[in-house]
Amino acid sequence: MTSATSPALPAANERRRVGSIAWHVGALAVLAVVLYPVVWVVGASFKPSKDIIASLDLLPTKPVWANFSGLADGISGIPISSFFWNSLMYAVLAVVGVVLSSSLTAYAFAKIRFAGRNLLFTLMIGTLLLPYHVLLIPQYVLFRNLELTDTLVPLVVGKFLATEAFFVFLMVQFMRGLPRELDEAAKLDGCGHLRTYWSIVLPLSRPAIITSAIFTFINAWNDFMGPLIYLNTPEKYTVSLGLMMFRDQEGISNYGSMIAMSLVALVPVIAFFMAFQRYLIDGMATSGLKG
Amino acid sequence: MQQGRNAEGRVGRRTILKAAGTSLAVAGLGATATACGGGSGSGDGTVTLRYAWWGGEPRTIAIKKTIALFEKKFPKIKIKPEFTDYEAFWEKFQTQASGGNPPDVFQNAVGFLRKYDKRGVLLDLKTQADAGNLSLENFRNGVLANGQVDGKQIAIPVGANTMALVIDLKAFEKAGVEAKFGWTWDEYFDALQTIQDKLKIAGDTGYFSIMYLYDLYLRQNGKAFFTDTDLGFTEDDLTQWWEDGYKRVRSGLVADPKKVEQVKPKSALSAGLAASEFTWDNFSIRYEGEGESDYGLAPIPTTDGKDTGQYLGSLMLSAFSGTKHPKEVAQFIDFMVHDPEVGKIMGYDRGILATTEQYEAFKPTDDNSKGVAAYEEKVADAGVLGKITPHPSGADVIEAAFLRIGGEVAQGKTKPADAAKALFSEAKAAFAG
Repeated sequence: MTSATSPALPAANERRRVGSIAWHVGALAVLAVVLYPVVWVVGASFKPSKDIIASLDLLPTKPVWANFSGLADGISGIPISSFFWNSLMYAVLAVVGVVLSSSLTAYAFAKIRFAGRNLLFTLMIGTLLLPYHVLLIPQYVLFRNLELTDTLVPLVVGKFLATEAFFVFLMVQFMRGLPRELDEAAKLDGCGHLRTYWSIVLPLSRPAIITSAIFTFINAWNDFMGPLIYLNTPEKYTVSLGLMMFRDQEGISNYGSMIAMSLVALVPVIAFFMAFQRYLIDGMATSGLKG
Repeated sequence: MQQGRNAEGRVGRRTILKAAGTSLAVAGLGATATACGGGSGSGDGTVTLRYAWWGGEPRTIAIKKTIALFEKKFPKIKIKPEFTDYEAFWEKFQTQASGGNPPDVFQNAVGFLRKYDKRGVLLDLKTQADAGNLSLENFRNGVLANGQVDGKQIAIPVGANTMALVIDLKAFEKAGVEAKFGWTWDEYFDALQTIQDKLKIAGDTGYFSIMYLYDLYLRQNGKAFFTDTDLGFTEDDLTQWWEDGYKRVRSGLVADPKKVEQVKPKSALSAGLAASEFTWDNFSIRYEGEGESDYGLAPIPTTDGKDTGQYLGSLMLSAFSGTKHPKEVAQFIDFMVHDPEVGKIMGYDRGILATTEQYEAFKPTDDNSKGVAAYEEKVADAGVLGKITPHPSGADVIEAAFLRIGGEVAQGKTKPADAAKALFSEAKAAFAG
């Protein structure tokens, strides 16, 4: 390899190679640290339940399927699939709600000039500063009086009302960056606001929308506090609550099934991310500036 | 950004459309509400009660069976089960209690009684007992008193448990030491020393961070961890307790707290780091499941050679003061604590069965249950069982603080005197909260 290059620069070549090796070794070391927990979880999911906390080996000496096959029996008489179905319903409704309501709100903030716009925008950003725990009990009382506890409504209704200020903000910033010539042209062609929103701004905002959708999905899928407070019937529990049912402070926790289920619970999140990150990059590359 | 805002301003000025966003969002709300909302009323006289508990899968499966039994005998009462693990249960309960929507009947523990009594969440079941819907007879060893606060019966015990010393039987045998009823703390620590010398493992896993054990020690000395409203000991008492404890960590008599932390969630006893651990006797089932050795229950060391300071603690059933069906709730609790069939199904999962009907109906077959039953019988026969220490509102928070601060002492992060001061100030806040 060295003989092919110019003989005048062997030292520089050598230095570059050493640097490159050092860089790769460093990167691999960091990768090992980052991946270790993942490998541990995967390894543990194939260990007999007792070995998970007993043995220090990263990988099982004799892999077993029992943890996964045990999931098929459900937990405490509830099939695991119902947790997944509930989580999926929650996550999908949350995504639909956030995408629709936040983008519409963002359109108003970004493209329409109306009295009090800046004040309202500031107020909306201000809601980001409210700690969740301050809202928890008043919200709970509200939904209780509406007799909506033990349903998904309290969890998703806010998402349909554009209360996710961060995503509204994200989309506003994105829409402000879209060339105004596009919506001016639409206006000249006779589009009203709704039409401009739907046909011009929304498609162009795809990267922002996809970003919001991915984060909303992950947040909803991982949400613990909301479902814990609002859902009472175990059959309505989401995956995050279902995972807790494998724990037993007073007896023997079923670590094997818990870890197997957390692995399975990762699948939809990863799948969702994989499916949409393509559009994310795609969208970035083509946003708006063509023709 | 500034430029962008000006540009948009020039384009659109039709403020009417700002309403469009709102109306669309409202339409969305309407759609979800109709899709998910569901009523709970019923007109045929059937009553639905929400029943909540915490615990693992075996408990849940057993309780579900008892519910089915109850619904068969009381066809007009339907039970809606709600269950999760301990931490999630209380987190959820706190919000539900604040929001006026706790379950009608729920599992409860001594540490939470005054806290929720103070907030008016718990139903006084005495009125229901007087009305004949619930029997307060046949409770064993006076455990019924565990559910009483200020003359009110706000909880009914389902089981009884007491603190115990769980020991690694093989280690004790190998070291040639024996745990005897009425042994003193000195004898206990001498035994641990022998174990440490002969087997090169620690004697105990960290006794001095356990609030309930310190309570027993105080009771042996004529005090208690709590009075009705306050802590029942002085800062100096606690400083001394933690100083002794830390000395024993340094000498290796108590397991290295770092290693204890590393083996979690496994107990340091089942990991083989130490030969004994203090805990509630009904928790002892975990050691056989986790560890390689044989484990048994041993008596609590004493100060005077007799009094262990022990009392029976309980898991209990409580009812919500705002329940719409107090009579049915009382009938349900009555069935759950007195019915012999229920006792047979539940076994000792929530402690040794609290009523004589259930205690006599259930004959344990597994070694762990037999061991726990024999242990509690011995403790009762020794005549050392006293009245339960009061648990003021905030006791649950203080127990957690005691464990945490005790852990800091063990690691040498906090000096015992400072730690005692910290606990007293946290306790003050907990009592006030």
